[in-house]
Amino acid sequence: MRALDWAVVVAYLVYVIWDGIRMTKHSGNVEGYFLANRSLPWWAVGLSVMATQLSAITLVGTTGQAYSDGMRFIQFYYGLPLAMIILCITAVPFFYRANVYTAYEYLERRFDAKVRSLTSFFFLISRGLGVGVIIAAPSVILSIVLGWHEMTTIFVIGLSTTIYTMIGGVQAVTWTDVKQMFVIFFGLFVCMFVIISQFPAGVSFTDGLTLAGATGKLTTVSLSFDLKEKYTLWSGMIGGLFLFLSYFGCDQSQVQRFLTAKSVSEGRTSLLMSAFLKIPMQFMILLVGVLVFVFYQFTAPPMIFNQVEVGKVAQTAQYQTLKGEFDTAHHTREQAAEHFLKDRTDATKQEYLAADKAFNASRKNAVDYVKTATKNDSFNDVNYVFPTFVVQNMPMGVIGLIIAAIFAAAMSSISAELNALATATTIDFYRRHFKKDATDRQYVFFGRIATFVWGIFACIVATYATNIGSLIEVVNKFGSFFYGSLLGVFVLAFAVKRARPRGAFFGLLFGISSVWVASHFTDIEFLWFNVIGCIVTVISGYLISLTDRGGIDVVEV
Amino acid sequence: MKHTTKPEEPPVEKPDAWWYKVYFAVIVTLVVVIALLQTFTYYFSN
Repeated sequence: MRALDWAVVVAYLVYVIWDGIRMTKHSGNVEGYFLANRSLPWWAVGLSVMATQLSAITLVGTTGQAYSDGMRFIQFYYGLPLAMIILCITAVPFFYRANVYTAYEYLERRFDAKVRSLTSFFFLISRGLGVGVIIAAPSVILSIVLGWHEMTTIFVIGLSTTIYTMIGGVQAVTWTDVKQMFVIFFGLFVCMFVIISQFPAGVSFTDGLTLAGATGKLTTVSLSFDLKEKYTLWSGMIGGLFLFLSYFGCDQSQVQRFLTAKSVSEGRTSLLMSAFLKIPMQFMILLVGVLVFVFYQFTAPPMIFNQVEVGKVAQTAQYQTLKGEFDTAHHTREQAAEHFLKDRTDATKQEYLAADKAFNASRKNAVDYVKTATKNDSFNDVNYVFPTFVVQNMPMGVIGLIIAAIFAAAMSSISAELNALATATTIDFYRRHFKKDATDRQYVFFGRIATFVWGIFACIVATYATNIGSLIEVVNKFGSFFYGSLLGVFVLAFAVKRARPRGAFFGLLFGISSVWVASHFTDIEFLWFNVIGCIVTVISGYLISLTDRGGIDVVEV
Repeated sequence: MKHTTKPEEPPVEKPDAWWYKVYFAVIVTLVVVIALLQTFTYYFSN
């Protein structure tokens, strides 16, 4: 990183904080602070919805995944457009017309305060920990790539986002999200063109895709029915559908986005914007990873991308031996790639595939050695591929732009999560259980304090998350326990007239328990947990409701 | 960039029939996009 790169990063950070803070004038009352007075246009809300979902780890991890595993991850998003249609028909008009601040507030009207508090509590716990991980993951990577201390990156990302979210409220979150999306897209486009321009003379963009296609890296549709296969058309269309229904329809960080829209129509349009743009956007991010793969066909890649782990073992004799084998494997593959592009026959293709296989085996040996030598079984350097590539190969100025884009992706997600956590804390607990008749000013003040406290909490979680690698897995699993089951409660609320408070309350607990059983005693992949949690919650909630003869009447909203 | 804070007029909601056409367009687009992606995969893999 040179002076120009640092200038770009600093300019981005200063601008985004200033831009967020200046929104404070629109945030004097409760509805202004938490819902922007329901005044935002659909395109701003739509970009905010997409920015919230696109975290830094999605940006960095997806490109790394495409580099190592190809584009099959795109199938994860095939259920998203269908989820958006269902939410446009159900959740958007239900929540909007109910005039609620949080999704869980609606559950009190439909069921009772216990169901509302339980669901909101699960949201606060899972999201509170989740934000810590959202801060930690890019912080670890950027600290290594930029040479900063982890605590520095955590607090630069966490505190700067907390400051503008706390002061500007949801207006700041949304309008900074819009600008951050432009930074991310601009950064990706520039990155893509620079990578292609750095291909050797005579190797075109389509030549690059031919190499990637030959190795299976361009697979975008798998029709396998294997439940143990992570990304297939079916896991995306069914498992992904349930996941996105629960994420966009039951998670306050997303529900709050479309509640800020001017009308039901604008809220629907904002969600449908994601339905149209999400798959092409993910395709573009994955394509960047594939282009990095092509670039490294003709330029020697690092054997291990995580330089901190390399530093621990680089001087050992075995590492040096593996490095020699790796360099030879790369050279052989480079020659085979050139042969294949020059003379596209089955023989040259097989030669290239054999060389690629040997190269992958060589890298796997190195990764296994690092795992053993550092006694770190969970070691995986996929997330380091893209940032390392950027810092080592991008020209001056572009490095700063891409690092700013990674910051933007992190901050756009964190700000929405902090804002949602503060909203649920203020509306579902403080206003509901402690102070029902406070003034607008008091609620906004409490909302700002809650944002600050959640921001500090997230930074503290992030400092632990960087040291305990498995915590990321724990939080992800905890999130998947919650999502499907929570969706089940909303299905009971929206679609099952006979559903009663006791059924919803215990249905949620049964749903979460069933996912715990599935995760501990089966090999089913996590996308299917959302299906299991939802179905168990709905069935058990319905059956319990049937036994509840003294339940309340259905409240029509 | 102008930031509005309060809608000046009550919003006009589009009728359900209009939305069902939009939902149909989304589904058709999804099918077309998946087909295009599959074609893209097939073209460069063979």
